Amino acid sequence: MSLVTENPRGTCVLGGVNNVLSAVTRVCPIYHSGPGCCMQTSAGESGQAGLRTPYFLSSVSSPCSNMLEREVVFGGERKLRDEIDGAIEIIDADAYFVLTGCTAGIIGDDVAAITEDYRKRGLPVYPVTTPGFAGDSLLGFETAWDTFLDYIIEPAAVKCPDLVNLLGVIPYHDPHWSGTLEELSRILRKLGLRVNTFFTDDQGIATVRGSAAAALNIIVSPYLLKDTAKKFEERFGVPSIRFNGVPIGATQTTEFVREVGAALKLGQAIIDSVVKSEEKYVYNYFESIIGALSWKRFVVAADAGTAIGVTRFLADDYGFTPVAVIVTEPIWRDSDKRRITDALTNPEYARPPEVSFLSDHYEIRQKIKSYDFTLLVGSSLEDEVARETGAQFHVMAFPMSDKLVINRTYAGYRGCLTLVEDLFNNL
Amino acid sequence: MARTYSGIRESRPYTYNDLGGKSLRLADDFNKKCLKNADRTFSQGLQCRQINSISCVLSLEDSVFIIHSPQGCSGCVTMGADGYRVGQAHRGVTLIKSPRVIVTNLDRDDVIMGGEKKLADAIKLARERYNPKMIFIFTSCASGIIGDDVDAITAEQQKLTDSILVPIHCDGFRSKICASGFDAAFIAIQKYLLPQEPQPKVKGLVNLFAPTSISYKDQLEVERMLGLLDAQVNYIPFYSSLEKIRRITSAEVSTSICKVFADEFMKELDETYGIPFAHTVMPIGVRNTDKWLLGIADLLGKRKLAEEYIEKEHRRILPQLEGIKKRLAGKKVFICGGTGRSFAAAALIDDFEMELVGLETPTYDFDAQMDIEYLNGIHQDYVVDIANMQPFEQVNLVNRLKPDLFIGVPSWSARLGVPTTHVLDPKRATMGYDGILYLGNKIADQVENPGFNRKLAPHSRLPYKESWYRQDAFKFIKED
Repeated sequence: MSLVTENPRGTCVLGGVNNVLSAVTRVCPIYHSGPGCCMQTSAGESGQAGLRTPYFLSSVSSPCSNMLEREVVFGGERKLRDEIDGAIEIIDADAYFVLTGCTAGIIGDDVAAITEDYRKRGLPVYPVTTPGFAGDSLLGFETAWDTFLDYIIEPAAVKCPDLVNLLGVIPYHDPHWSGTLEELSRILRKLGLRVNTFFTDDQGIATVRGSAAAALNIIVSPYLLKDTAKKFEERFGVPSIRFNGVPIGATQTTEFVREVGAALKLGQAIIDSVVKSEEKYVYNYFESIIGALSWKRFVVAADAGTAIGVTRFLADDYGFTPVAVIVTEPIWRDSDKRRITDALTNPEYARPPEVSFLSDHYEIRQKIKSYDFTLLVGSSLEDEVARETGAQFHVMAFPMSDKLVINRTYAGYRGCLTLVEDLFNNL
Repeated sequence: MARTYSGIRESRPYTYNDLGGKSLRLADDFNKKCLKNADRTFSQGLQCRQINSISCVLSLEDSVFIIHSPQGCSGCVTMGADGYRVGQAHRGVTLIKSPRVIVTNLDRDDVIMGGEKKLADAIKLARERYNPKMIFIFTSCASGIIGDDVDAITAEQQKLTDSILVPIHCDGFRSKICASGFDAAFIAIQKYLLPQEPQPKVKGLVNLFAPTSISYKDQLEVERMLGLLDAQVNYIPFYSSLEKIRRITSAEVSTSICKVFADEFMKELDETYGIPFAHTVMPIGVRNTDKWLLGIADLLGKRKLAEEYIEKEHRRILPQLEGIKKRLAGKKVFICGGTGRSFAAAALIDDFEMELVGLETPTYDFDAQMDIEYLNGIHQDYVVDIANMQPFEQVNLVNRLKPDLFIGVPSWSARLGVPTTHVLDPKRATMGYDGILYLGNKIADQVENPGFNRKLAPHSRLPYKESWYRQDAFKFIKED
């Protein structure tokens, strides 16, 4: 289900699928779609997420059948086969995934059967049959994992008790995804773990294929990948724990470390030692900037995961006053809304902020203007309302089009220091 | 409407999108009308016409933009919105606005049941929230294939509002040439926004059509040059308004900054409203700037004024080009760009006596033929790739031709270690005579200092197999 929306955030299923595929090393997406879908999904995803371009294939370099009137009328299967043949001939990839655009989806080209022909011939070509119009890029992100579960991930001969899958950060959508995966991996490695991030350290389709060997999925999102978690457990016996978004700052990251430690039954000594040294690192710096950044009443308009992380950090760890939080992506399940609301409305000391769920930008703008605040944390879309209200404005959520982000992150222990720096530097 | 142009560029005779070869042979074949229509059996993503239709009108004041599509088709509008915000900043606006974009968000149910109700809902939202002067409605592949009657919904909704509803038929799958999207937008502008009868002419009023990629600095420069001819400029459609759009029909003459922007529309204005037009080149480089200015001056009866100015500028600029020429003469160049910029860049490098070895441009047609014949008179037999991007062909050719400089989007050639630059610059004037000096120095500096690309190349991870670089770059182009 989709609603008429002013300035929606993100693109369609193809965008979300492509975000994942373009972040896994040496994977080739093939768009079976009209002309323009490659560019639209890149401009609206990676182009709005800190401006980095996927190095392998993206936008106008993604193979695409560019379906025209002829294909729409007579079917595009022949054209798709040619396209796949060409991609295999010239693109040096380990796996090829065919994405189904609206045109192909509506006219009913049989992408599953065509790709199966290739696999019968021993060629790694896989279908993503969920069409563009089925939903937004968040659904696409989940669709990519479903595809991996259905076609790529293999049962593990040997389980690795020290291996974890870190899931829930959307590459080329979350503007800070690289740095976030690096910082969370750093912390997990300190606990003696090996980490599949899938999207950093040149991890490729082999990492995806072997991910069933992991002892645990760590999902850092309040609601994404529920089916993925279920299938990982049912088919491959990999359990999951869920953290309400990417942890920011000492309090949340220590919770994160302790939850992971408990789930994997790691020794108390190593957990305590990691927590102690990391918290010391953060607070030694905080001790030297006392008073640099004065008190703020803040409003957050962001995706649920980002909103929870930043609201809890600013309220619980930094002493700011949370006024209101607007969760900006469509959340369909009431249970998810409750979980998100609970995570936002239990600050340790502060009064709980008002929480609302709005995806229409007009409604978001009106809502923001109804509050009295001095700091607005949001996406680039909130720039205009920030100018109108005269509040300090910090962009940290998707869509982010006015900042170049390479490996900057606000995640974990170290990232919160960067967040405080950035808040000061744009005063 | 006097003409019946459909807005699909392929409908114009002798238009080719999939073609490759050496320039002399292609020009000869084109003249003999023996080029064949072809298609690429393997291709990379194109820019669809919806993207161009939206970008064409997105910076108009007091407007709401409804995209009748699934959410994905709003991807490039976010990019266009960034451009609009930057454009406002350059124009000194402090309370920078975002364009109001409403997406109908067609989903599975709508694909089966039709999306007409959602479109009506979106129009209602646009009216209630903003009561704008104009509401633009863009169709998509999905809305086109499921057969939503956008014109009927629009006509029905028009009865309920004073906002002018402007449906633009820009379904992506109907054309391979993204410039068709500009045409679709202008067809709608004429149908819904212009006075249908010819208007009294305003002496010296010039319609100056310019696409979104023209920076504010370039706008000021071309307006300044036209001011020297006593012209009053109606710069449209960027950062303009309904009032400025309506003034189009009062103009004495029209011209454009880009060869594929408003060219068909200017013909229409000529035939319906008696507004003659100059369709020449993009004013980048000495020859092109001369030609562009003379083209409009002739129509205004100001040739003498223009010639005096050109002579004065030549006396000022040409000696300064000598220094740049010393740095660049004889260097081999590969150019990739949209139709306007690619040919403009090709003319520009002539000012520096550089040698063209490869040219990638989206469409071969009568217009392109004029440019290619001109370039054939200056350069050796160079490679022409008629392609909208297609980076796989580009890296094959650049790797083979080993140019000293690549001009265009640098994402791929940079990774081959070739020095790269671009004739697009959002903050400095690239057009007119001072622009030549700026671009010349920029090119020379980048040719002389290829450090970033050279050091990047050994680490680069271009996706193509080694074997691809040894094959014919045009092997996937098959005649129909």
